[in-house]
Amino acid sequence: MKTYSVLPIQFTLNGEKTMVYVGAHETALHVIRERLSLKGTKEGCGMGECGACTIMVDGKSVNACLMAAPQLDGRKVMTVEGLGNEENLHPLQEALLDHHGVQCGFCTPGLLMSAQALIEGTPRPTHQQVVESISGNLCRCTGYQQIVTGIENVAKKGAGEA
Amino acid sequence: MTETTYARPETLDEALLFLKHHGADTRPLAGGTDVMVDLRSGKLKTSYLLDISRLPELQGIALWEEGLSIGAGVTISEIYASPLVREHAPSMLKACAFFGSPQIRNVATIGGNVGNASPSADTAPSLLVHETKAVLAGFSGERTVGVEDLFDGPYQSGIGPDELILRFMLAPARGRFSDFQKIGRRKALAISRMSMAILAEQAKDETFRFIRLALGSATPTPMRMRTVESFLMGKRPDRKTLKEGARLMAEEMVRITGRRPSTVYKEKAVQGLFLRMLYPLLENGAV
Repeated sequence: MKTYSVLPIQFTLNGEKTMVYVGAHETALHVIRERLSLKGTKEGCGMGECGACTIMVDGKSVNACLMAAPQLDGRKVMTVEGLGNEENLHPLQEALLDHHGVQCGFCTPGLLMSAQALIEGTPRPTHQQVVESISGNLCRCTGYQQIVTGIENVAKKGAGEA
Repeated sequence: MTETTYARPETLDEALLFLKHHGADTRPLAGGTDVMVDLRSGKLKTSYLLDISRLPELQGIALWEEGLSIGAGVTISEIYASPLVREHAPSMLKACAFFGSPQIRNVATIGGNVGNASPSADTAPSLLVHETKAVLAGFSGERTVGVEDLFDGPYQSGIGPDELILRFMLAPARGRFSDFQKIGRRKALAISRMSMAILAEQAKDETFRFIRLALGSATPTPMRMRTVESFLMGKRPDRKTLKEGARLMAEEMVRITGRRPSTVYKEKAVQGLFLRMLYPLLENGAV
């Protein structure tokens, strides 16, 4: 079996096929931020405690700081940049603005990805499920209430449209 | 040691052949939630990362004649979502509900949790009360060993360098009383300060005719509390008996672990956790 200190990987990043060379134990976070320059995904603690680096891999929320980059090979990856952009914000982003769920903003991309993973898997979450979905994301500004309200409103609207 | 390199086997045989030659210099990589932290801090130095996260042989949860089988590569989220685990190992389901965070649960595996041999491995107390056997594979064959015996010491596992855990075999709960309790500093993500699991069955006269108790985080390795089990066997869970059981639990913990600065707290906490876990039986009609 071949072993690699650097290896090429292919994955879908925000809908686009991406090929990049990664180190054997480089983190997914380092690849996304530094090699691919998507700065929305933040490094906070670097040990899975704060959730600022949360991305979605095959529809599930994961800490990019704890994932070895080679493990992205063949996966579907979504970062906050895939959610919306400045001209066209995603409903979750609108909701966090409307409900004052953003202050310093450092935790926001990670929180958005946790919320998006929840809503994709559970379109009509209960209050408890919303709270649980962001339990791996630390926010030191808002006190969480505004964030939870924002996510719940999006879920309600989404469910209403369906 | 110079550089860490990465390898991803397609099959179990390929992985075991690699371990046969390079086992001593290899760290298996599954969810990475412990490995990546330890690599980064410099605590872990290894020549090879062997990515076993995609091996089909380590996947799946199934009810077999021998018991409930959980593949070593099954994630904590998958266990939590499993109707089979809900029915046959409810304390395991509860342990998984309080495990890490959603992000951690989505990748962390039960095999990694046991293999890392942390005294506070959250799946351990439940595995112990289910008298779980781990099936290990090496290039020359398989062996079966009790999970309690896989914990040699804090972060010291009895898994050989050329071995992988294939799956865990749990004795099904069969409708017995089953619970898991944990104390941590924060609700999500807290490393357990103390954890406990029970599997018990009462006779018609409410005396215990079967009881398994396990303690995590409070002893150097997760352990069955056999002294307390023997004390409770054949007795009804009335207030006096439970209080005495709690006292014995604390005594046993101190006997094994020794007195430490945290003992003053842990002696009380272990009794509180024990009573919290057993009180529902008291409400079931005993006096």
